Amino acid sequence: MKVLDIAWKDLIRSFRSLFFLFFGLAVPLLMSGLFYLAFGGISSDDEGFDLSVTEVQVVNLDEEGFGGQLLVGILQDESLADLLHVTAVDDAASARAAVDRQEAGVAVIIPSDFTAAVTDPQGQAAVEVYCDPTLTLGPGIVAGIVRQVVDGFAGSQIAVGVASERLGAAGVTVDATTEMGIAMRYAAWASGQHGENSLQVRAPASAPETSAAVRIIGPIMAAMMVMYVFYTAAASCLSLLEEQEKGTLPRLFTTPITRAEVLGGQFISAFVLLVFQIAVLLGVSAAVFGIQWGAPLPVALVTLGMIVCAIGLGILITALLKNTRQTGVIYGGVLTVAGMLGMIRVFTGNVAGASGHVFDVVSLFVPHGWAVRGWLALQQGAGVSEVLPTVAVMLTVGVAFFTFGVVRMTRRLA
Amino acid sequence: MRILDLAFKDLRQLVRDWKAAAFLVVMPIVFTLTFGFAFGGFGGEADPRLPVGFADQDGGALSRSLLEMLDQSETIHPIVLEAADADRVDEQVREGELAAAVIVPAGYGDSLLAGEPVGLTVIADEGSTGGVAARSEIQAAASRLAGAVQAARLGAQTFEERVGFADEAARQSFVDAAVAEALAAWADPPLAVQVRQSGAVAEEASAYGVGGFAHTSPSMMVQFAIAGLTGAGEILVLERKSRALQRLLTTAISRLEIAVGHYLAMVMMILTQLVILIAFGQLALRLDYLREPLAVLLIMVTMALWVAALGLLIGLISRSQEHVIIMSLALMFVLSGMGGAWVPLEYTGRAFQTIGHLLPTAWAMDGLENIVIRGLGLESALLPVGVMLAYAVGLFALALWRFRKVG
Repeated sequence: MKVLDIAWKDLIRSFRSLFFLFFGLAVPLLMSGLFYLAFGGISSDDEGFDLSVTEVQVVNLDEEGFGGQLLVGILQDESLADLLHVTAVDDAASARAAVDRQEAGVAVIIPSDFTAAVTDPQGQAAVEVYCDPTLTLGPGIVAGIVRQVVDGFAGSQIAVGVASERLGAAGVTVDATTEMGIAMRYAAWASGQHGENSLQVRAPASAPETSAAVRIIGPIMAAMMVMYVFYTAAASCLSLLEEQEKGTLPRLFTTPITRAEVLGGQFISAFVLLVFQIAVLLGVSAAVFGIQWGAPLPVALVTLGMIVCAIGLGILITALLKNTRQTGVIYGGVLTVAGMLGMIRVFTGNVAGASGHVFDVVSLFVPHGWAVRGWLALQQGAGVSEVLPTVAVMLTVGVAFFTFGVVRMTRRLA
Repeated sequence: MRILDLAFKDLRQLVRDWKAAAFLVVMPIVFTLTFGFAFGGFGGEADPRLPVGFADQDGGALSRSLLEMLDQSETIHPIVLEAADADRVDEQVREGELAAAVIVPAGYGDSLLAGEPVGLTVIADEGSTGGVAARSEIQAAASRLAGAVQAARLGAQTFEERVGFADEAARQSFVDAAVAEALAAWADPPLAVQVRQSGAVAEEASAYGVGGFAHTSPSMMVQFAIAGLTGAGEILVLERKSRALQRLLTTAISRLEIAVGHYLAMVMMILTQLVILIAFGQLALRLDYLREPLAVLLIMVTMALWVAALGLLIGLISRSQEHVIIMSLALMFVLSGMGGAWVPLEYTGRAFQTIGHLLPTAWAMDGLENIVIRGLGLESALLPVGVMLAYAVGLFALALWRFRKVG
């Protein structure tokens, strides 16, 4: 009963603590909310992001030609108005300067000989897309549109060249009228090609059906939850240190209470607190952001593994600290750095391939990384058998930390 | 002199806690290297292009041509998936081992030659830039291949109209040769798009736009400058809680001198941190910060001024060390996240970008990136410096106002 009394007293103190309410519950939800807003929570629909409009300056040095006019017309088409704001300017230098001054993100410069090159089977020309090096999405969209148009013309030219070459090789003379006919037939075919339809794009299977915004915010919420659960566990355990400094702990030991009961009470208190914190974060994030965390049993297993791991680390840290003045280093240093390393994969999620694997491995050097791994697996629909190895590692690490910490604490309190 | 004495006392106190001091320098370096590596900063990887799985269920000449066209991309490199791998291709894309995967269905080549192309299946997470970039490249290659086949078909039709083929074999031979010729022409198309980037790291451009360290170096600098407030703020709280401040106020030193003394210590601490990180960026990462030394100096100083003013305010508002930690770390996360230090603001929505640019962190990032990425001059630093200076003045004024009530 004494164990439960101690646990209850600690719990009451934690629930009254601004630190827990703010750091344990509000901040992770706020941070995830920020990213939710950043990456599409405010989008008009669930399919697309609310991308900012890219300022484009287009210089058509091929004013008289149909090629330049067509390209400018496509860039200025109303269907692209949500993505591009296109302004026509007279000279290339001022357009490039506008990009340099960040007044525009991209400059498209159509050379004066563009139409001539399009109509001449031997003609060559290059449309320049000059962009701000800090931007990726806007220039990518503009370059993609320009390339589609230019490829249409280039394809026509290639078709004429190939036909002329093959027919010539067979001894058939190709005149200008025939060339024009081939070019027009190619153009008619190209205009009927709806590029998007030639690809059937789908998201990776077996992941729960979620919107793009949720697919982004889900891992971020998992990372935030892991980070702040470890903070809470450490804060809860550090209260022992505070009690030791204030002298309440030595006074407690003058009573018939044992050291094991004190540490046991601390463990139960931290456990209940973390269960509450995780339940609130899972519930609110599911309700507000629509995150699907998975089936109850695997969720419970990952929760258990993370809690044991976090409390074990908290006890270990408390045992290693000399006084509460060192807590700044622990929060600002050890836990923040370990948390950032653990969630590094979430923030480098766009990096596929070898680098991505490196981060998978690096993140597993800290307990936070295993916890993040577990939650990400759950979001992708993992079952009990799939999360068990991760849970086993967390439990093993947690018990090891806990044992080492308790031994050291017991010596200190002796 | 009293101000300097107080500042040096604070600095000695901060340096004495060498673990915290080392944290402020070592951690940003570690994270700059780590994140820089993630975005290809070392450039030593065998193939920095995005890996895209290629499952060929057709096995014909045209699907091999598609593979070759994908391999010519500067953005993606195809990885041929064996039958066993093809079963777990969804998992590979989901886990990020592949940026995307393309499945060429059986009969793809024949359908192209018949003029009724069957669509390619692309598995990609369109919530990731890698997935979007890969999809765009696959689209371009597929369109070009279809264009090459169409060119061959038009040539064959023209020949048929003008002369006529002796038999189907002759027609097939004509088409095969024409397709090969068209594909060769697409390797160096007569009309092209030339993408150029302005700025200092244009030559290091990668699939992510800029060299890996060019964004992470400034971003970690900004984030860890704020992280340093934890220790500095704690000094103020301890001074108040131990009544040292109250005793100090009974001496001839004024409140303003005390505030400026603490502030100066924080400014010097952050400046030292920034100087080391700039030197690391310049010497180890080869980011040319010193191409505009005056601009970088102005940015560093104003950044140190507003961050220190924020630290002073936190130290004066906080009732305990715990509060200092809460506020410092929460502000670090919020200011860094919203100011574009974690993810460039370009990737965020319009409202977020607007709000983000109300924060001094976004202006610090702009100022540093103007020099080191965009390759601009001193004038490009003036607006960021002005905004950060205004923040410094505002926050310092708030701190002074708060200090009047302390003690």
